[in-house]
Amino acid sequence: MSARIIMKLKVEAAVATTPDIVRLSLVHPHRPTLPLWEPGAHVDLRLPDGRVRQYSLCSDPADLGRYEIAIKREDLGRGGSVWAHANLLEGSTAHVSHPRNNFPLQDDAIRHVFVAGGIGVTPFLAMAHSLAARRQEYELHLCARAPTHAPLLSELRAVCGDKLRCWYSSEARRFDPDVLPRPQAGVHIYACGPQSLMDSLQSDLKKKGWPLDQVHVEHFGALDDENFAPEPFDVLIKSTGRAVHIPAERSLLDVLREEGFRMSSSCGIGVCGACECGYSDGTVIHRDVVLASAKRHDRMIPCVSRAKGRLTLLL
Amino acid sequence: MTDEAPTDGPAPKTIEAFAHPAGSIAVGVPGGATGWRGTVLNIHIAPAASYEMEELTEAHCVAGRGIKGDRYYLGNGTYSPKPDTREISLIEQEALDAMSRNDPPLQGGPIKLLPGDHRRNLTVRGVPLNHLVGRRFRVGDVILRGGRLSFPCKYIEELLGQPVYLPLYNRAGLNCGIERGGVIRPGDVVEMLG
Repeated sequence: MSARIIMKLKVEAAVATTPDIVRLSLVHPHRPTLPLWEPGAHVDLRLPDGRVRQYSLCSDPADLGRYEIAIKREDLGRGGSVWAHANLLEGSTAHVSHPRNNFPLQDDAIRHVFVAGGIGVTPFLAMAHSLAARRQEYELHLCARAPTHAPLLSELRAVCGDKLRCWYSSEARRFDPDVLPRPQAGVHIYACGPQSLMDSLQSDLKKKGWPLDQVHVEHFGALDDENFAPEPFDVLIKSTGRAVHIPAERSLLDVLREEGFRMSSSCGIGVCGACECGYSDGTVIHRDVVLASAKRHDRMIPCVSRAKGRLTLLL
Repeated sequence: MTDEAPTDGPAPKTIEAFAHPAGSIAVGVPGGATGWRGTVLNIHIAPAASYEMEELTEAHCVAGRGIKGDRYYLGNGTYSPKPDTREISLIEQEALDAMSRNDPPLQGGPIKLLPGDHRRNLTVRGVPLNHLVGRRFRVGDVILRGGRLSFPCKYIEELLGQPVYLPLYNRAGLNCGIERGGVIRPGDVVEMLG
């Protein structure tokens, strides 16, 4: 994971796609094209106070003239979406990073199955654009309250056609995981949406015997584990041999920075992966939602993850 | 977000070029290339750490501080918290040309860095930057002092997503102080001063 360049993009259009979701079209003020990206990628949106929010790109990855993101106004959220709705109007400037992809399409898949809850559909619209161009098999299940609250519905219909299946709770048609295919080599399931939907889907897929490496879940917003009680621990810096104590009330990232390490970071909540670093000789309590399982034996996300006892950091 | 220019605020702490450990020693050491005459090709600044570089048609240089609008003038650069000589930075177009030829072949293949990519302020041609630590030279009417060689950092490698660390080694440019301020424009002559 890495630092990314931030661009000052012009809001070319800001269109309400539902009563509480705005779709922004962003263009570079001086250049005709924006950096390349792959479907599933997100950008960081910088707020004036320095906070950062992640949004999946939902436009056609083949169109480098513009990026599109869709932002749901969360009146009870942390304030970023409310600010964006009020300020990112047509003609304004949005401070947006180069894209990063933590949720890629699997190259070896023969069929892709997408399950989206509400605004979680955004990465799948970009994926649908790409798969349509590649003529690959996919299906997209969109769960929403009602058609009026289904994000990007007209675009999804245009791109997906009969590959789109909508599940509206207002019509008493809740998503039924039994419509998903049985486990099969080459079929990959991707999900993005509210944690409750993700939890129930993952539990159902596990029961049905889906291998973990064929199920891919995109998280925005770290896992909320209210019962987690941070405890102090110690780290040994491998390059210098220096021992550093991490008190219970401070993050490893904060302490490392105070010690003079120049650590990249972005979200501070374990979702972006910017502060990833290596470790050895210790037990890490992984609390992020970005690192792949295969990397967790020697990599960690120090903005949220901690350790038991003593840990050696590869810094 | 509004797009107003940031206000200047207090001047960040810097180390005067000839007080820098590298520059202060080099001042008294004779030698180095003379008789050269170079040119400014491009001027870039960034409004804050990690922000995309923006091309300028003229740079307003302030003695002892930097280029107006640049992150190291404003004190919000990646390395601003650590006082150093960073008022203005230069890199040789010749080094960028060599990287684009994969010369020397230290990495997987050629690396093309455009003037807006490398994050130095001035892209110059015909200026032997590695000879200018501890030396005074002029860029148009502005007088610079070579404080220390730039060195590549992993941060820029991450930012660019290209393996530039090794190929930039020993030719990453020059960090300078500004002795006499003024305006620099592309095409300005760069010359040694006594």
